[in-house]
Amino acid sequence: MLWTDKFNIFIALVVPPLVVALLGVMGSISSKAPIIPINCVVVSYDSNAFIEENNFTESRIDNYHGPYLAAVNKSELLNLVHFYNITTDLYGMELARELLIAKEIEIIIAIPVDFSELLTWDYPGLIDCIIDSSDPQKIQENINAVFDSIKIFVRDNNLTPQFELSGFEEFSIPENYNAKFNNSIVMTLSFMVIGVGMVLTILVIVHEKPIARLLLTPIKRNEILLAKYITYTLILLIQNISLVATALSFGLYIVGSVFDLFLALFVLGFAGLSLGIFISSSSKTKTEANQLFFAIFLVLVLLSGIFVPINAMPIYLQVIAYILPLSHGDPLINGIITKGKSVFGFDFYVLLLVSIILVVISFILFKRRKYEV
Amino acid sequence: MLSKNSENVMVEVKNLNVKFDQNHIVRNVSFNVNKGEIIGMFGISGAGKTTIIRVLTCQIEQKYWNGIVNVTGLSPNKKRNHGIILSNIGYVPQLEELNLYFELSPLANVDIFTSTYGMDKQKAKEVAKNLFTILDIPEDTWDKHVKQMSGGEKKRLSMAIGLIHNPNVLFLDEPTTGVDASKRYEILSYLKKLNQKLQTTMFIITHDLEAALICDKAAILREGKMLSFDSPKKLIGSLPSNGMIARITIDNLNQQVINTIQQFSPIQEILRVGNEVMEIMMDDFEVNLPKLIQFIVNEGFKVTAMSRDVATFRRFFQIRIKEEEQKEKDQNSLIVENEGGDNEKT
Repeated sequence: MLWTDKFNIFIALVVPPLVVALLGVMGSISSKAPIIPINCVVVSYDSNAFIEENNFTESRIDNYHGPYLAAVNKSELLNLVHFYNITTDLYGMELARELLIAKEIEIIIAIPVDFSELLTWDYPGLIDCIIDSSDPQKIQENINAVFDSIKIFVRDNNLTPQFELSGFEEFSIPENYNAKFNNSIVMTLSFMVIGVGMVLTILVIVHEKPIARLLLTPIKRNEILLAKYITYTLILLIQNISLVATALSFGLYIVGSVFDLFLALFVLGFAGLSLGIFISSSSKTKTEANQLFFAIFLVLVLLSGIFVPINAMPIYLQVIAYILPLSHGDPLINGIITKGKSVFGFDFYVLLLVSIILVVISFILFKRRKYEV
Repeated sequence: MLSKNSENVMVEVKNLNVKFDQNHIVRNVSFNVNKGEIIGMFGISGAGKTTIIRVLTCQIEQKYWNGIVNVTGLSPNKKRNHGIILSNIGYVPQLEELNLYFELSPLANVDIFTSTYGMDKQKAKEVAKNLFTILDIPEDTWDKHVKQMSGGEKKRLSMAIGLIHNPNVLFLDEPTTGVDASKRYEILSYLKKLNQKLQTTMFIITHDLEAALICDKAAILREGKMLSFDSPKKLIGSLPSNGMIARITIDNLNQQVINTIQQFSPIQEILRVGNEVMEIMMDDFEVNLPKLIQFIVNEGFKVTAMSRDVATFRRFFQIRIKEEEQKEKDQNSLIVENEGGDNEKT
């Protein structure tokens, strides 16, 4: 009896320990993983000219931004992506901000104009930093990294350990918005949209018995599956409209455009429903589809990069993670809501590509599916 | 769309063979179904009935079968014909759950199926209402969920769905299976009613031998071979004593008693049909019946009831299958004897 449903037995016996093993691997990765330095850009406004107050004569002083850059490079917690000297790169700060929006860096360290002057005259040093606050959990981590560079700078240059760090949060939620609601909605939107898309469609093929009978009418298999896609895409559209409307009415703060968010949710939801239809057309029974959904959804969540950063995973898991839709859906939605990024970027096109591949595979599987009445 | 030569012959099958790898499922089967006829194909499980209906309804790829098959004048061996064949035929599966969306109303089900034939919605609704009326599907159920309907109503609705596009041939797979005895006759009478009112050609596959009551022609299949194909009346008439039987009830009937009665030479066939009842067929029925009674009484057996009747299709089926089994046994024993002889020689 047991062997009449080998696939389900496989799923039931192999998948749970596999998930536990995956969790174990992820856990050991997060605890043993080397420190991942935080990408930063240093923008220097520092001037090494000193104007004497009494006679307005100009003299040269030691330039300290060079040694500070050396300290940034020395710090294990920071990774200097670019250095802009405003005297030569007039638009350095704008370029740095673009990198911050693109999530290529997380901190802009700004060296003020009187940086060297204050240090020369033994005044407390001053550094400004602009940190990405879209992820509240990482704010402190980012500040600590800048402090680390200051510590090295002070030590290496025998300076008075008096330093003032002014932090400016970028992409933080304005005070008149509910931060808790906004933070949690950004986290859950991507899960919810892909999960609901999958749940909605995992049984549409495997559980609909009259499909076999419909195939004894002039209708073609492709037409049946296409009708399913159209129907569920319409449901997805309605779901997305109501989702965005509800979120906005409860005070969701969107930096980007609502249309971009809607499009991002739609493409992620479509990837979810394509995955659901793929599960449904590749399963023989309802139980098999449910088991497969459970297994795939767990892998999607675990490798999404939300719990463990993808670049901290072993390379083989990174490859899998980058194929999975949630790994692109979360940063896409996050980027639009918190930083005002455009929807049309790498993540959007990957999601589109993954969805198209799943649609094509589902059509092939459905065409080959055996039906008997 | 029907081709010219199919105007009268709705289904034509000549020397049909179906093979899946080494399994020869259907062997040289030939038959025709004419317009307006009800054809019943009878056989026990594994006889090949379902395989034949699957060939006729374009469900089996051409690589698995050979022979001449035409449904409404078109052969299912060409993929381009499938669409036309499927729009010319209707199908009523054995299980209603395969034919109906239980969460929808009968009229919504009609909507789904008629859209696949490209029918006009209003026209489809009119056709459906007419069919529902013929099939006595209560009007108050037309807009309710199918799951709320009774088993018999679901069955009739399933038939209506099969007929919704006015097909040239309606294929029915075990229409009376899983239905209690009283409902079986009801379903059969509805099928006859539809056949008479709409002139629908019907092709029924079943192991319910009572279905022969409404068939114009009946085919008997056994292990992929067609044993008989003719009108049930003719088939019964081909039995010994032209299908006449003596139904005799004897006290304490047992095999020994049957063996004794068997010694009455005109007897062709004795079938025990109950604890104390047997049916007897014999040569020259009218002349020999009184002599048989005399013989039984003389042997000292107590006859408690006796009647004469025409054999049912069930009896014909049993006898035909028994004959075939006997023939097969004889052939097998001949082969064993021959092999034994060969071994002795060597």
